[in-house]
Amino acid sequence: MIEFERFELPNGLKVLFHKDKTTPMAVVNTLYDVGARDESEEKTGFAHLFEHLMFGGSVNIPDFDAPLQRAGGESNAFTSNDITNYYDHVPAQNLDTALWLESDRMLSLAFTEKSLEVQRQVVIEEFKQRYLNQPYGDVWLNLRPLAYKKHPYKWATIGKDISHIEDATMDDVRSFFQKYYHPNNAILCVAGNFELNFIQDKISHWYGDIPTKLKPARIVPSEPEQTEFRELTLERNVPADAFYYAFKMSHRKSFEYYITDLISDALGREKSSRLYNKLKKELNLVSEINAYITGSLDEGLLMISGKMNDGIGLEKLDKELWSELAAFVSEPLSETELNKLNIKIRTAREFQDQGLLNRAMNLCQYELLGDAAAINEDLNVYQSITSEHICEVGRQVLKKENCSLLKIKRKEA
Amino acid sequence: MNRKEAPELNQVEHISLVAPQIIREFPVPFYFMKEIPNATSRIELYFNAGTINGKIGLASAVSGLLLSGTNVKNSTQIHTELDNLGAYTDISIGHESVIVTLYGLNEKLSEITSLFLDSILNADFKQKEIDELIADRKQKLKINFEKVSFLAQREFTKYLFFESNYGRVIEEKDYDAISREEICDFHKNQYLNGLNKVVLVGEFSESEVVKIQDMLAPLCAIALPSFTDSLTNKSGRFSVSKEGALQSSIRIGRILFTRKHADYIPFAILNTVLGDYFGSRLMSNLREDKGYTYGVNSMVSEYQNSGYFLIATDVAAEHKESALNEIRIELDKLQKELIQEHELELVKNYLLGHLLKSADGPYAMTDLYVHLQNYGFDEAYYNRYIQEINEISAEKLRECARKYLNWDDLTIVTAG
Repeated sequence: MIEFERFELPNGLKVLFHKDKTTPMAVVNTLYDVGARDESEEKTGFAHLFEHLMFGGSVNIPDFDAPLQRAGGESNAFTSNDITNYYDHVPAQNLDTALWLESDRMLSLAFTEKSLEVQRQVVIEEFKQRYLNQPYGDVWLNLRPLAYKKHPYKWATIGKDISHIEDATMDDVRSFFQKYYHPNNAILCVAGNFELNFIQDKISHWYGDIPTKLKPARIVPSEPEQTEFRELTLERNVPADAFYYAFKMSHRKSFEYYITDLISDALGREKSSRLYNKLKKELNLVSEINAYITGSLDEGLLMISGKMNDGIGLEKLDKELWSELAAFVSEPLSETELNKLNIKIRTAREFQDQGLLNRAMNLCQYELLGDAAAINEDLNVYQSITSEHICEVGRQVLKKENCSLLKIKRKEA
Repeated sequence: MNRKEAPELNQVEHISLVAPQIIREFPVPFYFMKEIPNATSRIELYFNAGTINGKIGLASAVSGLLLSGTNVKNSTQIHTELDNLGAYTDISIGHESVIVTLYGLNEKLSEITSLFLDSILNADFKQKEIDELIADRKQKLKINFEKVSFLAQREFTKYLFFESNYGRVIEEKDYDAISREEICDFHKNQYLNGLNKVVLVGEFSESEVVKIQDMLAPLCAIALPSFTDSLTNKSGRFSVSKEGALQSSIRIGRILFTRKHADYIPFAILNTVLGDYFGSRLMSNLREDKGYTYGVNSMVSEYQNSGYFLIATDVAAEHKESALNEIRIELDKLQKELIQEHELELVKNYLLGHLLKSADGPYAMTDLYVHLQNYGFDEAYYNRYIQEINEISAEKLRECARKYLNWDDLTIVTAG
């Protein structure tokens, strides 16, 4: 059970407080309700570039990192297609330093040309390092536009194209900040060994005078229902053929989301899973195979991906995979298999909840979904899933006209 | 409120480390941490089965085959039984040892351990499983050969641990030379008689601990392994070419020492200034000023009787030479100029906060403590560490830079 308190400032900032008596550290986690899905198609990669600029100094403080490090703290952030999340670890006695820095960059940034120029270069290098200069690195850059035709999930967080990063202007940066970075669009969680009224005073002190703005309306084009099987084959300089089957699945708040998550575990999370057992151990077609979900807030993807053994064609795999999926959705899972999936989820959760940062981050994400208290309900939702649920949702998701397939073929020398 | 003024700081003065219990009535070191506020538990088993043992590739193959089947169970059955208990397993291989880690809810851990032990005690290494593993390894190696960071690290390993077993790197053909017989022998010598340390974390009763000990006792090594203290790096510049690479990967480093050496803590502080935190000199220069790279860092790492220092980064291909030059300038600066009070104070505070964070929670405390024990230290070490950080002078750090950061002593590798 993860306990927390919730309060809200008059300017709209939502605050969660999680008390942990055992830790000498404090965590300050700030979730901004903006991600790559909020970008326009002509200016992609912006939410992520902006995350880099958030470390380039704020209106009253020239440098973000140095004062935090001087307080014995550390900080980082990540951007996804859905959210941008910033976090600080600091010794509890220096909580004020983290709140001072985070509140000042919520108030306003420094917006220096130098910071924009350098972070532009850094992000371009990140683009190369992660997506271009790696075998199979460009898979998601190609798979997203295959699976999504309208929804902004069709571009990756890093952006659709390097040129979008190269062309970003200071005006773009300013207007992005004004629209998305303010108390009404943020959820803050403070975790550590403190008292509630102490935290309330601190938060009012540091964040109380930040002007309020309207929460931006999210007008995201919805993805039309997929009605046909899609396929794309790319030739690359890679040692092994690879496959990426992407099935559309339900959004984060639906019961079907949990069921699909369990389906992906059953199919390919562990070495005891269905596909690993059948396609690797039994038929020896693949060197690796995995199934997982993207975890997106809007309609996401269930992925089945892997690499072929030498000399085995992708067509052979395709045939066996579909027949295994057909068997999976027609025959209900045994009680034992269902229990296995549930105890794995429960064990993983117990370990994740060890970390103070994990707890703070998850509380913010559940609050974004509607209620942080849901953090303590998830396991019950998984427990309530029956084998009938799995067959039913499996039949809706694991069908050909709901699937986009990207094949990476080895370029013949 | 004046937002321009930083809040007052309160420094970290001590950390309260709860040490695990050391159980003496066991043939090899056995650490037990009982103070866990939840239902999680973990057991780590250290085997004398690292990559310096046996012919090249053998140790790694055996570690990958530990759960591949026994005379009565195939690998899917083993994994299904482990998963039915909610177990997570991790088998990691280093130069000196293999660490098997089993995670689970504490009411299941004893059963998980027993299942795991049955699988490795009775492993029968079927040829089919060996062939499959070797095919997988060959494919992974080919994929890795497409990565500049892998190519640089591989070449660096050769020259850092020059002419020693630590510096061996595998070629595809080496996999074909591994026989089932060699695998069985290695398994018998390095696992069935090779357990040399156990670390148990979780809320267990005394009788439960005894039960786990009884299971493990037959695997204990008779003598603890001894490791070399005479590694030396071959200095100079080496390069690997990779056509069409958009980035070049750089590795720079040298052999150093363990924390038993008097200069270990001063050098560790110097390393932090140079490249071991986000505000470090290398990050500020190569990333935040020039934009050559997404990241650059330096580190110190320890073996049982030796250690090394490493700078690693991937930079835009066109900036490779400039990046090398800037790294050299930063090393020179540390040798010539004294670190200013303002910067040194920041690094000291950062290190103390970082220590506090790395000791947060029972798992982290156990890991820190067990690592210290390798070098004969106990929890008192960190009081000394804190004191040494507080008292370190810029002169001492410059002296360390002059001793250990001469460009001509370093192994420098680029790939791209």
